[in-house]
Amino acid sequence: MSRILVVDDAATVRMYHRKILGDAGWQTEEAINGLEALEKVHNQPADQPFDLFVVDINMPKMDGYAFVRELRRYTAAHQAPVMMVSTEAQRQDTFAAWEAGANCYLVKPARPQELVLAASLLLGDAQAAVKAAEGVKQ
Amino acid sequence: MNQTELLDQFILEARDCLEQAGQRLLEVEKNPDDKERLNDLFRMVHTLKGNCGLFEFKALETVVHAGEDLLDRVRNGTLGYNDVIADALLEAMDFTAQMVDEIEKTGQIAVEAAPRSQALSSRLRALLEPGATVSTPRAPVSAPAAPLPEAATASPLPSPEPVPPWVDALPPDWRSSPSTAVAWRYSPEPECFFKGEDPWLLARQVPGLLHLKSGTQAPWADLSTLDCYRCNLAFAGISSAPVAYLHEHFRYVPEQVEFFELSNLPDKAAATSMQATVGSPANAAMSSAEVADTATASPDERAQAVRELIFLRTLQIWEDQLIILGRPSPQPGVIQACRLAFKNLLHTLQELELPVSLQAQSSLAAINSVGALVSWAQTHRPSLDHPVASADTVSAAGGGPLTPDNSRRGGGGADDGAGHNKVLKVGQEKIDRLMDLIGEMVVAKNALPYLAQRAESVFQQRELAREIKAQYAVINRIAEDMQHAIMQVRMMPVGTVFQRFGRLVRDISKKLGKDVQLVVEGEDTEADKNVIEALADPLIHILRNSLDHGIELPEVRRAAGKPEQGTIKVVAHQESDRVFIEISDDGAGVNPTRVRDKAVERGLIPADKAATLSDAEAVQLIFLPGFSTAESISDLSGRGVGMDVVRTAVERINGHVDLQSTQGKGTRIRLSLPLSMAVTNVMIIEAGNRRFGVPMDLIVETVRVHADDIHHFKQARTTVLRGRIVPLRALHDLLALDESPLTNEDGEHAVLVVRLGSENVGLLVDHFHGATDIILKPLEGVLSGLTGFAGTALMGDGGVLMILNPKELV
Repeated sequence: MSRILVVDDAATVRMYHRKILGDAGWQTEEAINGLEALEKVHNQPADQPFDLFVVDINMPKMDGYAFVRELRRYTAAHQAPVMMVSTEAQRQDTFAAWEAGANCYLVKPARPQELVLAASLLLGDAQAAVKAAEGVKQ
Repeated sequence: MNQTELLDQFILEARDCLEQAGQRLLEVEKNPDDKERLNDLFRMVHTLKGNCGLFEFKALETVVHAGEDLLDRVRNGTLGYNDVIADALLEAMDFTAQMVDEIEKTGQIAVEAAPRSQALSSRLRALLEPGATVSTPRAPVSAPAAPLPEAATASPLPSPEPVPPWVDALPPDWRSSPSTAVAWRYSPEPECFFKGEDPWLLARQVPGLLHLKSGTQAPWADLSTLDCYRCNLAFAGISSAPVAYLHEHFRYVPEQVEFFELSNLPDKAAATSMQATVGSPANAAMSSAEVADTATASPDERAQAVRELIFLRTLQIWEDQLIILGRPSPQPGVIQACRLAFKNLLHTLQELELPVSLQAQSSLAAINSVGALVSWAQTHRPSLDHPVASADTVSAAGGGPLTPDNSRRGGGGADDGAGHNKVLKVGQEKIDRLMDLIGEMVVAKNALPYLAQRAESVFQQRELAREIKAQYAVINRIAEDMQHAIMQVRMMPVGTVFQRFGRLVRDISKKLGKDVQLVVEGEDTEADKNVIEALADPLIHILRNSLDHGIELPEVRRAAGKPEQGTIKVVAHQESDRVFIEISDDGAGVNPTRVRDKAVERGLIPADKAATLSDAEAVQLIFLPGFSTAESISDLSGRGVGMDVVRTAVERINGHVDLQSTQGKGTRIRLSLPLSMAVTNVMIIEAGNRRFGVPMDLIVETVRVHADDIHHFKQARTTVLRGRIVPLRALHDLLALDESPLTNEDGEHAVLVVRLGSENVGLLVDHFHGATDIILKPLEGVLSGLTGFAGTALMGDGGVLMILNPKELV
């Protein structure tokens, strides 16, 4: 089962994302900022690494950009795609997300099915993708 | 999803945020320069806003969003913190607290809250105006939101951006583009050429281009004062790509580009107001139309729509990866993460049997550098042109007749399990690719003789030149064999077209009350697939003509002393590199007198000229456009689109039609077709110091004609060749070259005799050069309007040869 780390300082958003992604059939964990997320990556079990990070941008202590930059600095560690989810719908945030190395950028609040669709494509989960796409088309 | 649980969480966190924000607000008021506190305050409001967005709490979100924008401005120092701002924020917080209470009680926000929310957010937004804080805070609602452009895009104010005049000036039909599309205008700066920019290329390569037009920034100056090195071009277009992609595309010339999202058009705004996403790669493409149109669709259509959506999103994420990899010096982990993303995207496509190239997966694993990954991703970018993976796999063909519609070459002789005669089904585009490659190879190898010549003349390396020539001979032989082998793969028996004739003849003859027997010979003769496919329609037309006009009714035939049953023969055979197809009937033949009359009656030729034509020549008149001799217009043939259509179709594939008819005995039509259309043999000629190519199959002969043997009648020049008068035209005149035709030392002109339909015309040129094989590339873009040229070809020495089309030229 794919493992996803949800990183967001807002408890409501964390709950929301974990609910949506959990309903799609994935295992989720959470971190309240970039620093905590990095710790979790550092301590992840070798046989069960995270397969995807769903990351907010604006967070205390370490924001989303810094987290991705730090994460990508490791070559040895397992590198999973990062999906940035943020309310900052402005283009400079998209650029900054790309610059930091985030693989995908979604605007919050993302429609649940769009979020799941993007996640399933990044995870390579075809069944979930079909289900989510059907949801979008409903 | 358990909505109450989430709602409880929302209320809990909202109260927490409000409480902390209230504290911070008071602290900041005491100490406005405390950046740390301000940031905290901003984040509280930001979190609150984000949470509101998860629910349909519009009234609340509007106010919180306005507060966030205001705080953002204070935080980054463009706005000074003061009492007025604090008052407005506190009032907004009170309102928020009330709303949260209401949500806790009823689970929603009553509509009555909307006006107050509007008023509050207007008041907050009015404060965004620098200087507004000193005057009364009750500023008018319609005050333009922001001095900074990025704030304008983030503004949730319902009043849309005004439509700029240049958007209004775009062609009206562009407005029918999807509402998610973006209009852009690019006005390159005058000095751009000196910076090595290529504005046209940049405009052409805009991602997701739907429409593009070019114009000028200012009216063109008078020719005498025009500075052609200064750019006066302007481009405008519509793109379906998210606006962030466009910004990325134009990142080196941002000040020269303007964007306008079509969703802001008054007539589109309503449709998209529910989707206020700005510049988000993944969301922007999701229009409400895209979502809405499937409500009534059938399950099949739905499934298709789902697959399309997945494909679209995959492509968007694919492009994202390319952009990330394209940033300067990406972190080492980025490559790994992108590679994993690509791998997973491919995996999904394959699972769903969406188009994907097979080698993509296997070659991905070994890639370790950014450059290699980028070029991999560009090569294997998913495209609907790729064959679907499952159809691409090797399978034993299950017999079945091969029709021209069946794009794959399979064997009728392959029986299941026979083992010794296995057939491989291969996508046609793979064969086409091979064909293209060998075409390029043929051209590339032609560079070797030039090289040998240079080695000898420039570097005095005779030995090396000899060796190059020897090697050229080897490569030439292999290339020719290879070309032949690949052409063989594309070959199809003409019988695939003949198959349908039996039924056609039977049905039509019955309808006409005629008794006709069809004899087919040589159906195993092979020709290139494209030639065969182009042949079907002309052949059917000829057959219908024969049935309709050629074969007489049984009683007429009996009276003429012929057997009652008429015969139509279709015979195919190959002679050197051409395929001949002959359709002959033993019918009435073409009546030359009637053809002459008709041609004159229809004004196709003048009466006096018609009278001078021999019978054999008169018969050829039926190839003229708009000719039809049918007494009554039947539904089979004789609609006035007779033989000229046949001739055009055949000539399009470099073939010829030849018609012979004996009155009372019958008609014979002979089609001469090339085996293949990929490589064209041309002869190179020279006129006015320029070289041109002429397709070999049009050339009848090359002769030397003494100037004294050229007869002048007014403007026209003719000469007599083998007892026939041949009109002469100077290629120099036809191409409007300044020079006049040269003669050699003996005073002879070089004359290239070409066949134009059934007539021969001599072209005066300066010199003949050798013949060569070329890959004919049609003229494109601006040049496509040029008549007189069939296309261009790249020569072995790197030069470009213009290929003449004598039919258009003369």
